[in-house]
Amino acid sequence: MAIKEKAPAAALAAPAAPSNRLAAARRRLGWTGMACVGVVGAVVLAAVVGQFLAPYDPTVGSVTQRHLGSSAEHLLGTDQAGRDIFSRLLAGARTSLLGPLIVVGATAVAGSALALTAVWFGGKVDAFLGRVLDVLFAFPSLLLAILAVAIFGPGLVTASIALAIAYIPYSARVIRSVALRERSLPYVKAAELQGINGFTITVRHILPNVWTQILTGSTINFGYAIVDLAALSFLGLGIQPPEADWGLMISNGQESLQQGFPEQSLYAGLCIVVTVAAMAYIGERLGGRAAAGRSKS
Amino acid sequence: MRFLIRRFLALGGVLIASSMIVFCALYLAPGSPEQFLVQGRTVSPEVLDAIRAQYSLDDPLPVRYWNWLSGVFTGDMGRSLLTQQDVGALLASRIPTTLSLAAYAAALIIICGIGLGIVAGTRGGVAERIVIFASNLGIAVPTFFAALVLMSVFSVGLGWFPVFGAGEGAVDRVWHLTLPALALSLPSIAVIARITRTAIVEESESEHVLIAVARGLPRRVILWRHTVRNSLLPVTTAVGMHIAGLVAGAFVVEYAFTLDGTGALLVNSVQRKDFAVVQAIALIMVIAFGVVNLLVDLLYTVIDPRVRLKKGA
Amino acid sequence: MIAIENLELGIKDPDSGALKPVLKGVSLELGRGEAIGLVGESGSGKSMTLRCILGIGPRNAVVGGRIMFDGENLRSLPTDKMRRVRAGRIALISQNPHAALNPVLPIETYLLEGMPELRDARAARLRAGELLEQVGIRSVDRVLKSFPHQLSGGMLQRVVIAGAISGKPDLLLADEPTTALDVTTQAEVAAILDEKRRDLGMSMIFVTHDLDLAAAVTDRLAVMRYGEIVEIGTPEQIRDNPQHPYTRMLMSIRPTLDGVQAVPATQPEIGSTL
Repeated sequence: MAIKEKAPAAALAAPAAPSNRLAAARRRLGWTGMACVGVVGAVVLAAVVGQFLAPYDPTVGSVTQRHLGSSAEHLLGTDQAGRDIFSRLLAGARTSLLGPLIVVGATAVAGSALALTAVWFGGKVDAFLGRVLDVLFAFPSLLLAILAVAIFGPGLVTASIALAIAYIPYSARVIRSVALRERSLPYVKAAELQGINGFTITVRHILPNVWTQILTGSTINFGYAIVDLAALSFLGLGIQPPEADWGLMISNGQESLQQGFPEQSLYAGLCIVVTVAAMAYIGERLGGRAAAGRSKS
Repeated sequence: MRFLIRRFLALGGVLIASSMIVFCALYLAPGSPEQFLVQGRTVSPEVLDAIRAQYSLDDPLPVRYWNWLSGVFTGDMGRSLLTQQDVGALLASRIPTTLSLAAYAAALIIICGIGLGIVAGTRGGVAERIVIFASNLGIAVPTFFAALVLMSVFSVGLGWFPVFGAGEGAVDRVWHLTLPALALSLPSIAVIARITRTAIVEESESEHVLIAVARGLPRRVILWRHTVRNSLLPVTTAVGMHIAGLVAGAFVVEYAFTLDGTGALLVNSVQRKDFAVVQAIALIMVIAFGVVNLLVDLLYTVIDPRVRLKKGA
Repeated sequence: MIAIENLELGIKDPDSGALKPVLKGVSLELGRGEAIGLVGESGSGKSMTLRCILGIGPRNAVVGGRIMFDGENLRSLPTDKMRRVRAGRIALISQNPHAALNPVLPIETYLLEGMPELRDARAARLRAGELLEQVGIRSVDRVLKSFPHQLSGGMLQRVVIAGAISGKPDLLLADEPTTALDVTTQAEVAAILDEKRRDLGMSMIFVTHDLDLAAAVTDRLAVMRYGEIVEIGTPEQIRDNPQHPYTRMLMSIRPTLDGVQAVPATQPEIGSTL
């Protein structure tokens, strides 16, 4: 945040035809970026149809099949309960993406709603919402999530919504600054003078211009959300066993790892690392800014 | 001075508001507060009375909040709902571990993060590419995964470091905390290295550095006094935010390495539904987070004359 | 003293690799103690010529030609020798002093780092104070302790001039030194610069788009356009008997005391930059 922020060019450009925009996105992403899109695509595919592709039931194991190495039967071996690791990774893709999807969706909706409200009304409303965000800023994001889990009990939805609340101030602040610039342009004033109501102007004119900002922020947040939710699952406060989830798998594999069977933790961890790195790269390329300055926990 | 006072008041306001959230969270829980606090455990009537008294459940809400807050300020944070231990004493025994871990990690962030960023920003070439690549990857590695990998390689595999515990005495403690601190600081090191590099590259293209070259100043002076020093000003804020973030990040690593810090205590208390302890730790973490952030702001005004003189501190 | 011979510079587009020409064979000779004014529109290559002399052109630039300074080609000088030339023999005064000084260091540091030969800190500080007095700064102690953002542009440009003359260089490069200042201080700063240059017998290349100012402080004028010098002459020659059509056009649109003459309709873009 401290680094000079450059306005994403696309946010300032007039909305282009979709095909142009696609080509522009491809140009901006470059080859590495396209590879990252491929990685994310594969993960999404696994999340959607993974359960049909999985060779074994991800939650059922066999005591006689524990800690098997990689073989034709068990592509990536089995875990401490004799469950097929590859099947669990496929199944885990779904929960590992579903949570972040909730986080990012809720953050984007609430964050932009707050930001646009603050920007449109300005003055006291803006100041008041600023104070509210300040209070949210006071909580490290994982702490807020843990507090919510302590109250409402562990689970994917609770953890996701709590995390979204923790993300909202960051997203709202960025969107607010972009929207503020748009709000001050003469054409908005002109529309206002014409008697078009604020809600319409905001939705028709301001929102489309902060759209790129919202998308970029969401891409970057998605990566953070994967990590944070996995951390919650790792702590036993998110997804509950025997459900498959990457964060939970890392935690489940901790004991095996000390006995010399690192496969489960390792593969699940790599899935997270690769997915998050790909998302971060795409987000950064699209936004043209470093995913910097966010306090990471 | 005015700036200082304003900043303190703002922090105070935010802390009061967040302590209310921490306190009132209890009442958001489904069911009655007693039910929630007891969580279906069978408890003796004396214990139930003690809980009622601790949360002064017979008084109106503002009074309850006031009792709790003034209790916190006088060091009385109530008793654990589970073990009846004094929460203050419990915390006091846990805080040193967390503090040493956070301090160690902070030192690593400052030394390694800024150091690598300077290397990448000033050397260019292969060093720069390696740092950029590593930091791209490092940002994506969750701390708990880094913890496990470090543990399996250096503790289980090579046996260089102990697997568990925080150690006794200074040297032993450093030895015990090295892997946890490394795991905890890794993502931040990655981010800081990269921010530092960007800042140095941007600064080295600034007009005043170009003019310094034109004045024929020695390369060393241009590099350190004009380029690196200036580029570190914005980096300070980022470093501060990351150090503040350690407060919350620490519990994942503590849990992974089973260190007896406040973070692991928090996680265990949440798992065992010991809300009195959860509340106390949450409050302390929010305060620590706020204070570190404040210190960073103050530090920034000290090191940057533009801010210092404008604010008239 | 200094002779620029057929200086060429192109800027390479990082994407397409195409070369955009900025200087197209600039040649200029300057004797000891002589001052020459480089005039022309923005983008004509005046500043770039100065930056080439100091070897601080843009990173993606391709340069050709020679810059002979006391019998040595500056362009093929090893880094360390070039550094010494910059430190002791050629000084640059740039357009915006607020951008030229490190914002987080006090003026004292700026001046002191320009005189490394004075090992003794007290002597150096005394010398810095002297220099400031020479450029007409009275509250020396206050200025020395100030940071750049606390001083006005005119004051800061005096500091820059003080720094430039501290090493008694042979050649001053002044890149629109008064453009960023407000009108009242422009004249003062130009006068100080002119006076110090004459006192110390320095040569000077003075880049400006202000013809009258250039005529007042220089012995000869060189008119630049699109990366080339189209005409060189004394200020009188240029004013009274311009040879090149572009110079004639420049002269015709110059504001005079009688009022601004009409800008020729065929060349509207010129008028807007002058």
